[in-house]
Amino acid sequence: MRGFRYLFGLDLGEKRGYFSPKPVIFEAFFHQITLTLEEEIREDRIASHRLRGLLAAAIAVSAIAVPAISALPANAATELTFWSWRPEDKVFYEKEAAIFKEKTGISVKFTPYVATEYNALLATALTAGSGPDVMQIRAYGGMSALSDAGNFLALTSKDVPALKSMAPGTLQGTQGYANKSVFGLPYATSVLGVMYNPDLLKKAGVKALPQTWASFISALKMVKAAGYLPLGNGTGYAPGLEQLWGAVGPTFYGGTSFFNDVVAGKRSFTDKNFVASLQAVKDLMAYMPEGAAALDYNTARGLFANEKAAFYIGGNYEISYFRTLNPSLNVGWMPGPSAATGAKKYVTNWTDGGFAINAKTTHKAEALKFLNFLASKDFAQAAADELGWISTAKYIKATDPAVISMIRAIPSSGTPFLTLVGFRYGTPTSSATMQPGFQKVASGASTPESLAKDIQAAIASWYAPQKGKA
Amino acid sequence: MKFFMTKNIFRSILIINVLTVLLPIFFLFNSALRETNDFARNPLVLARHPYWQNFTDVWADGSFAIYLKNSIIVTGGSLLLILIFSIGAGFVLGRYTFKGQNLIIGFILTGMLIPAKLAILPLFIQLKWMHLLNSHIGLILVYTAGALPAAIFIMSGFFRALPLDLDNAARIDGASEGQLLRKVLVPLVKPGLAIIAIYSAIPIWNDFFLPLVFLQDPSKKTIMQGLTAFFGEYQSQWGALFAGLTMAALPLIVLYLLLSEQFIKGLTAGAVKG
Amino acid sequence: MLQSGLKRQQQKFTWLLLTPGILVIVIFTSLPAFTTLSYSFFHWTGFVRGDWAGIENFQRLFTFPFRAQFLSALRHNTLVFIGIFIIQTSGGILLAYSLYQLRRGQRFFRTVAFFPVIFSLVIVGYMWQSLLNPFNGPINVIISKLGIDSGGLLWLGETKTALPTMVFINLWRWVGFPTIIFLAGLNAINAEYLEAARIDGASDFQIFRKIMFPLLAPSMTIVSVLTFIGAFEWFDLPFILGGSNGNPEGAADTLALMFYRLSFGSADSIANEVGVGSALGVVIFVIVGVGATLGAKMLRSREVES
Repeated sequence: MRGFRYLFGLDLGEKRGYFSPKPVIFEAFFHQITLTLEEEIREDRIASHRLRGLLAAAIAVSAIAVPAISALPANAATELTFWSWRPEDKVFYEKEAAIFKEKTGISVKFTPYVATEYNALLATALTAGSGPDVMQIRAYGGMSALSDAGNFLALTSKDVPALKSMAPGTLQGTQGYANKSVFGLPYATSVLGVMYNPDLLKKAGVKALPQTWASFISALKMVKAAGYLPLGNGTGYAPGLEQLWGAVGPTFYGGTSFFNDVVAGKRSFTDKNFVASLQAVKDLMAYMPEGAAALDYNTARGLFANEKAAFYIGGNYEISYFRTLNPSLNVGWMPGPSAATGAKKYVTNWTDGGFAINAKTTHKAEALKFLNFLASKDFAQAAADELGWISTAKYIKATDPAVISMIRAIPSSGTPFLTLVGFRYGTPTSSATMQPGFQKVASGASTPESLAKDIQAAIASWYAPQKGKA
Repeated sequence: MKFFMTKNIFRSILIINVLTVLLPIFFLFNSALRETNDFARNPLVLARHPYWQNFTDVWADGSFAIYLKNSIIVTGGSLLLILIFSIGAGFVLGRYTFKGQNLIIGFILTGMLIPAKLAILPLFIQLKWMHLLNSHIGLILVYTAGALPAAIFIMSGFFRALPLDLDNAARIDGASEGQLLRKVLVPLVKPGLAIIAIYSAIPIWNDFFLPLVFLQDPSKKTIMQGLTAFFGEYQSQWGALFAGLTMAALPLIVLYLLLSEQFIKGLTAGAVKG
Repeated sequence: MLQSGLKRQQQKFTWLLLTPGILVIVIFTSLPAFTTLSYSFFHWTGFVRGDWAGIENFQRLFTFPFRAQFLSALRHNTLVFIGIFIIQTSGGILLAYSLYQLRRGQRFFRTVAFFPVIFSLVIVGYMWQSLLNPFNGPINVIISKLGIDSGGLLWLGETKTALPTMVFINLWRWVGFPTIIFLAGLNAINAEYLEAARIDGASDFQIFRKIMFPLLAPSMTIVSVLTFIGAFEWFDLPFILGGSNGNPEGAADTLALMFYRLSFGSADSIANEVGVGSALGVVIFVIVGVGATLGAKMLRSREVES
């Protein structure tokens, strides 16, 4: 009690009756209130008249407005809610939703959120017991915490026949960690690589596509000398840096065999080859535009789309954005160059995400219908054509030459995205350490060596096979 | 001579302040009336031919009307509870003496120190347990609890300032305590009610954090929360973005122009909580 | 007889009127505040409480990898407090004194000065974000029209300038508030003191420095305490401008943002850390509570009666 009194300066024993406490913080304020009080009591009538008039006006306005608002289209028939982190795909989904409505009479309301805030919003909504009926979910460790908490409907190939035709590696992306059921329909494979503008390369005198790291660097130099931006990427969008590393890094650390070794705990992230893969990203920073630290995702992609930058390193999903900005853009794709002549090139790929159904949905049958629509050939083909998805269904034809070259490269050189596929099942994830870590490397506040140490420490703190290893 | 010089210095300081305050807001309104591509070419041109379609486009999207309605419900509901509870408690604490009074005053003062933001996790889980998540009622109760301590504190000050003779005269005339409060005292503390109304309603109207955590259903979102979603959705469609901002800002601007004195008094009365 | 009847009626009335309000405060403020404290002593998986953790959550908050985040956030909060305190308090006093000197037109200037305070930070944040857009924002356009190369001015986009820019935006939004408090303080000063000083031949500046400024101490206490609380719970503006990660590069990360990420998951991790988050909540509360109380006590002891 004494402590309480001290904290608030309350003198409980002093005067009984009207306000006797003198709390330290409030006293000054209280003083001010009494100062203005007398004046307040004699408050000018004008203001209170105005207040009254305004109140009447407000009531009148709401009397008109509220019924008008309520007259807006109500959810008479079943309306499924569908959330995504892709505002840029809104037009596409709304078009597909219209097709679905025509077929089934069920309408779908598409609500996109800012990608960086989506996780927190979705987790909050699902935990709250609400959330959408159908939603786009991240893959691997990006969804397992949610699926293990029982938020998603487990999917069987009886409900969703399309699951049968998918490769086990693809399905792994939407499987839980504790509960290994499949909780989402994997919709696309993502592929990382180097996108280039053949026209700009020609203008800069780059005759052959760079095959090795050294020739890649010299190509960047030639583009720069010719007065174009060599690389459109910036460092402002942190996830973009992890993807950039995912595209150029595997050839340095040794791709899938290193993946298997760190998963098994045989090698660690402080391995010199892994450090070399981080160094490669640092080397590329020299070829980024001026003010790279402030380049947000869309501005950076805009530099490539508007033919200002010759290269952009990222995923296949950038292409649809490039095309919305500049439909006539000529874009080519190649895997990250090999570390040295003769070294193997790798193409990082993973299940990008899935479509899941809320376990608490009150429209289970309709939601399943919609999910099967999303799994249908027509939808997959449309998504492949318009969003540049590499469909999880093999029979979908790609038309974009860049996408075709990606699909061809996967069988021989595919490798899982190390940080995303392997190490997002616990916190802190390797991505959570790597993304800001790269930004610190960019600003000179960190080095590839110390970043590797941080990643190892982060993983060792929760991943058993790496515990105690440095 | 010197006298006029100092006056002019202060006047110019204030004029500079007026420009810093009003120019950004003018830019916002002006840009809301310009076509996106036109704006992208040069952001600093007067909208000579107002492009009203920005507003009709945003309104046609439909969600703004819903957000607006939700904000009115949440702010109005909270305000009603805050006024009713603070009149009652303020009256009792300001005009009665009773056992345990100081303890209750101490408790209310402690309540003023607790920021709802830091208790957001337990509140989230508690509201879930009470089935009040994703509901306007839950949000209204949380807002009420947040604003109430200061409102009671302010109200009791107003009640205390009224002369005691009023009570005695009313009682001699045979008024019950309820009648005394309703018929005699409440009309006299109206200025206090205006202060509390503004003090509590404005921050509630402006808040986006609690709705962000507590409301997930897009049809239940409030205007400021909706605005954050709106910005994600319309990305670089400048015309629509500025029109949306203008529409969200307008209600309070109009109110402020009409009732600026009340606003200033009301919001600074919140000096205790900030 | 009449007296005791009144007493009884009052007693009934007392509890009838007090209970609903108190109950709402208890259920929706006090209870959650206490549970935050209890949460910090348990293990958590998602939003499901596990077994007793002792002080493990606090230990985790102060060790890798949270330690670095915590310290950088704390540093930012401290810098923000110092920055806001200096510019907002001096700006507030300057404006208040100017208003005080200007009897005619005071109402108009005061109304305008206070205007931004009514805006939601959502609107303020997005408005300034577009004003400061490095590529087509009017501020950089004006700067380059003045013949200065504005290409390098990234404002909110660069680690070095992001936090100061946010502090400036905060100033724009909030300076009207201390202005009004100081103006009320100035108006409350007994005119006789000033008159006496003037007769003694004191200059305006001397009067301000020797008489008015010391007498503004109560207003200074309020403004300082509120600035302190606001700075250490700073959330809305950095969230709107830099997202929950306090971008760019965490240069605008604050304790409250970190608390939000730990509580509800972040952009790079969908898993949350309720235990560590609650521990951080308790730490923020202690910083704010102890800091504000001690600060107020110290400042109050320097106040003089007017």
